[in-house]
Amino acid sequence: MTPNESTTDDGTDTATAADTASSTPDPSGEPLVDHDISVGESTSTDASESARGEPVIESRHLDVFYGDLQAIDDVSMQVPPEQVTAMIGPSGCGKSTFLRCINRMNDLIDTARVEGELRFEGKNVYDDDVDPVALRRRIGMVFQHPNPFPKSIYDNVAYGLRIQDIDTDVDEKVETALRRAALWDEVKDQLDKSALDLSGGQQQRLCIARAIAPDPDVILMDEPASALDPIATSKIEDLIEELAEDYTVIIVTHNMQQAARISDKTAVFLTGGELVEFDDTQKIFENPEHDRVEDYITGKFG
Amino acid sequence: MATGDAQHDWASEASQVGRTQGRLFELLCLVATAAGIVSVMILLAFVALDAFRPLSADPGWHLVFFLTLVAPLSALGVWFYRSDEPAGEVAYVTAGLPVVGLLVAGGFIVIFAELLSVVEWFALVVSAAVAVAVVVAHGRLRPQAALERLAVMLLAPVVSLYGVPPVAFNRLVNQFAAATGLPVELTVRYIGLREAILKLPFVPADWLMLLATLTLPVAAAAGLFTARRRESRRDGAVLAAGVSLGAAVGAVAGPLVGIGAEAWVILATFILPPLAVYVEGVVRRSEGTAGLVFPVVAIGGTLVGAALVQALGFAGPEPWLDWGFLTSAHSRTPAEAGIYPTLVGSVMMIVVIVLSTFPVGIGAAIYLEEYAPSTGWTGKLVTLIEINISNLAGVPSVVYGLLGLALFIRILTWPQGTVIVGGLAVGLLILPIVIISAQEAIRSVPDSYRQASYGMGATRWQTIRQVVLPEATPGILTGTILALGRAIGETAPLLMVGVAASIRLAPNGFFDLYSAMPRQIFSWSSELDPAFRHGVLAAGVITLLAVLLVMNATAIIIRNKYQRDH
Repeated sequence: MTPNESTTDDGTDTATAADTASSTPDPSGEPLVDHDISVGESTSTDASESARGEPVIESRHLDVFYGDLQAIDDVSMQVPPEQVTAMIGPSGCGKSTFLRCINRMNDLIDTARVEGELRFEGKNVYDDDVDPVALRRRIGMVFQHPNPFPKSIYDNVAYGLRIQDIDTDVDEKVETALRRAALWDEVKDQLDKSALDLSGGQQQRLCIARAIAPDPDVILMDEPASALDPIATSKIEDLIEELAEDYTVIIVTHNMQQAARISDKTAVFLTGGELVEFDDTQKIFENPEHDRVEDYITGKFG
Repeated sequence: MATGDAQHDWASEASQVGRTQGRLFELLCLVATAAGIVSVMILLAFVALDAFRPLSADPGWHLVFFLTLVAPLSALGVWFYRSDEPAGEVAYVTAGLPVVGLLVAGGFIVIFAELLSVVEWFALVVSAAVAVAVVVAHGRLRPQAALERLAVMLLAPVVSLYGVPPVAFNRLVNQFAAATGLPVELTVRYIGLREAILKLPFVPADWLMLLATLTLPVAAAAGLFTARRRESRRDGAVLAAGVSLGAAVGAVAGPLVGIGAEAWVILATFILPPLAVYVEGVVRRSEGTAGLVFPVVAIGGTLVGAALVQALGFAGPEPWLDWGFLTSAHSRTPAEAGIYPTLVGSVMMIVVIVLSTFPVGIGAAIYLEEYAPSTGWTGKLVTLIEINISNLAGVPSVVYGLLGLALFIRILTWPQGTVIVGGLAVGLLILPIVIISAQEAIRSVPDSYRQASYGMGATRWQTIRQVVLPEATPGILTGTILALGRAIGETAPLLMVGVAASIRLAPNGFFDLYSAMPRQIFSWSSELDPAFRHGVLAAGVITLLAVLLVMNATAIIIRNKYQRDH
């Protein structure tokens, strides 16, 4: 197990070794701490600071490789707290990869390798003393295809609480999460029914409820509405806007209108994993700096 | 007409797409299917004809039973199929449940006849229950003391079941002391609850002990199930009390009609509760209640038919496969030969196989699928191991027999021909099959479930325990039970590890000499007397197939139950 000190500055070999070293034991390891992602070093950000608008998530010269293929190329951006940040771009531009870097889901892919820094509340999540399991308990995730567990609705929402050994007020927390996900009224009488019996849109809202039940700080959404019909989509969009009052939401989407409707900030990735422009959503859609971005948004390219 | 053809040239006679090849292929597939099924059916028909010898009966006997039993049941079956399908399912289950119960009860009767006496069972169950009660009580009283809890969980069963210190521990220490010359000898020990019960100067009657340790738990479980389903504690209590009472009354009344009190208690325990729960459910739903007629007609038809045959003096068939065959040992005279000791031997061998193969095989499958690295040189090593496991599944069984011979008998110097050696040798044989089928089941769990679980911040262990395994269990169980079906029919490894051709007495323990059904069948096939080769052998084959069928049916039921749950 080599120490992971040199991820930012030099050769790929060191980074590979360090990355595999840190990724292999991860999922099996018990969380080092419950309410703090790092050990030994306290995080510098607290509630008052984040209220002042300090970025919750900040990437600095982030590169991601899958084997020899570079998926993210030198991306630096700052995600503000309690807002919706959208990431748009053509397929294969690395926006999903970036999203999965934030909660280190890329650790599960053997060939993935990360260089540069990705800071969550000021702490680089790729530091050696960060337990990705503990990190993921602070950063919820919603996937492209609704993937509720083949368990009851109740057990799905309570899953995050159970795995964190939270056994106080589970019923209340499940109800709160389902209410926030605008699903409570539809399922309150069938909490012990299988989650797989719900419709696709309901399943996705259930996944959102599952993600917010343990009360994370950030919610990552990977094209959450792309597999849903327009009505279900609009429900999810309303939901995202509401969630942004309390959570930092980062959403990847292929749907330009969706990004324009719901997001406060928009990041445009173009081919090669390059972040071309990152700014207020209004500015991106009305007056982008780069011609390539304008071409993409207006549909001339991609 | 010419213009019409010109407009719709895709709809004319000449433009039909050729389908000859496709039709021919379909036909060939059909022939292949039929050839396989028909040849197996013919073989089974021949064996069944030899085993049951229906032609040895009077034609009148057949006619009577056709009229009283076969015709009414067939008519009912057709009627259910045509107009009342739920009733058909009810009929099927109510007729099947007692058969399953009978098999389980038969298993317990054999256990008490061969393996342990009723009082030993009683002592075992009572002391185990006390140990569990102590652990639970401790959990209630001191829920916070985790370390203490662990100690209680480890110590309570030991104290209750084995005493302090256990005999084996004393013996080990004394042996060690004798070998090293240390002046230590452990003589003092306090006996556990189990031994205390065994040493009691008087014990209750056997059937009372069975009632307490077998009927009451089963009745309580059935009662709890009903109470939860109907959300009424009263109904559950009534059911549990009724079952216990039925068993108790029957135990007193049973000997009057020639059924031993113990046998009655066991039979009642495993037939009454499931039937009561099921019939109660059917009556409450009032769906398919007509199906309840089926078992009544079956029993009534049999009784009426038997009475008529007796009155009219028709002789029944003289099958090789009868009660005597199932309950007696091999004999030099074909008419007295039976399969009982080998049946018991086969079942005990299956127990050894299950206990040895399932934990190892399923554990290996979980490791290979969930933990093993997939890249780098370790990943290559894992791939190599997986390829080898696949190949091991195809290694001839006689080679595994040789392995068993070398490993257990030559190296470990265990006595040859014992249950444990035979079971482990056959266990090695099905281990690769168990691993592969369990791997398949685990692999079929969608990756999106794992992603979701990891995304929630679950550790790998939590993901496997709470998401992967529950989803993979039905597949793992079906695959492994089907592998057991292969194990029970294996003969070659048994020959190699010196399993006896036939034995007089069923094994009383896992280190006893035994013989298994396929081994016995094989030895019958080389008897000089044609009655052995044609009659007794066929009866043995049918018995073996019946056991196999029961196991496969279990696999299917388990799979269906899990699939319905999801």
